[in-house]
Amino acid sequence: MGRSVIWVMLGLAILWSLTIGDMGLGKLPGAGPRLAEFLGRMIPPDLSVWREVLTGLAETLRIAILGTLFAVILSTGLAVLASETMVSPTIWRPVRALLAVIRSIPLILVAMLMVGAVGLGPLPGILAITFHATGMLAKFYAEAIDNVAIAPVAALESAGANRIQQLRWAIWPQMAPVIMRDTVFRFELNLRESLILGIVGAGGIGLYVQTYVRSFQYEKAATVTLAIIILVLLSEALNTALQKRFN
Amino acid sequence: MNPVISLNAVSQHFASAAALTDVSLSVQPGESVALLGPSGAGKSTMLALLDGRLSGWQGEAQVLGKPLLATGIPSREDRANTGFVFQEFALVDRQSVYQNVMNGRMGRMNIWSSLWGRFREEDHMCVTRALQDTGLSDLASRRADQLSGGQRQRVAIARCLAQEPELILADEPVSNLDPAHAERILSLITSSARSRGIGVIFSSHQPDLSRRFAERIIGLRDGVVLFDKPSAQLTSGDIDELYHGASVTSGLRVVS
Repeated sequence: MGRSVIWVMLGLAILWSLTIGDMGLGKLPGAGPRLAEFLGRMIPPDLSVWREVLTGLAETLRIAILGTLFAVILSTGLAVLASETMVSPTIWRPVRALLAVIRSIPLILVAMLMVGAVGLGPLPGILAITFHATGMLAKFYAEAIDNVAIAPVAALESAGANRIQQLRWAIWPQMAPVIMRDTVFRFELNLRESLILGIVGAGGIGLYVQTYVRSFQYEKAATVTLAIIILVLLSEALNTALQKRFN
Repeated sequence: MNPVISLNAVSQHFASAAALTDVSLSVQPGESVALLGPSGAGKSTMLALLDGRLSGWQGEAQVLGKPLLATGIPSREDRANTGFVFQEFALVDRQSVYQNVMNGRMGRMNIWSSLWGRFREEDHMCVTRALQDTGLSDLASRRADQLSGGQRQRVAIARCLAQEPELILADEPVSNLDPAHAERILSLITSSARSRGIGVIFSSHQPDLSRRFAERIIGLRDGVVLFDKPSAQLTSGDIDELYHGASVTSGLRVVS
């Protein structure tokens, strides 16, 4: 496709979007003061709900940890089936296609389906995170497998190492840092994404966000928001610190 | 004495092109043989074949007194007894120099303890000695991907020496080394061959160096042995013919 065609299509897409029905641009001038008033009602944050907030955060953290753990287990098996170097194209092509489909389903949608299937609580959250994260992790793990350099493995074999020794001393050392990096990265995403699971009843801190906002208790919602910001910043810092160790 | 290598009419074809044609040769214990020839002559193919990594070839081959099979890989013990220095070094980049050399000991140790990294005193001694012999002691804890090309090549050689093989096959083992290191390494390999009575075949693009350290020179071109003679008898005419002479099979190539 020519470059000019792409620019024309981009322009058309923007124009088309601007024709969206009643955007209500007239509300924009009044939005500033209203937002200020809304934020004002969040101050000062009501710290008396710290116990609920901590409970919610702990549940979110547990959902993220267990969801990541189960995704790692599932991905380990699926990665082999999605690897171009381990299995034939008749296997890895459909498996990769399946993983792409899994990745394409938004987490919140998966969570709603899981709530429908197993009811309210942390379980649907864990299942949703497991399902959603596996789509990405299995693909990453498969790439880690496919990127293993064969020459050092052949060298160990030539020296008399058997398959298990080759795996332990030539294949795993090449894969491990990539696997660790991808897993920590996915855990951070899982933690961020699981913060909102409670909104659809799939457990965690999200429940409190929804409850407090719906019942106009903005001071309490402010505390929850602060706690979430701190948790996300912490997990990001942890991720950054760990990433440096894996190369 | 039984030869450490004996090939009888060995041929190897890759996708219709001949890589080795009717090669016969033998190497005695304690003997160092240099394999010379232009790129694509079949040197690497012959070494890989002797290492038991190729299949589908024809002819008869014996390595260390055992027949080499054209199907399947040799046993763990046989693989451990034949050391190979890889042209592209084949190191595990993220591992230390020490561990890379220790990898050469894998065929000699108990599998279970090797999985936990519990190596015997004997294994540590072999690694330490190989590092000393190749001048790498100071770099032992360095990661392999932080080394220069020449240093990496010496790690590949140290790994082979730590293996304590009864036969050393080396694919251009000094191609990345400066003259001083090249001499040191070739002298190390060939003198240990003599003192321990093991066989050595190394391929090279350096006729002068090869003549100094090997007792015999085999000239290989287009998969055919052009000459096989003691180093002392090698003439500059031989070298000229090997690298610049008319291709032995070029007539056939054109027709096919």
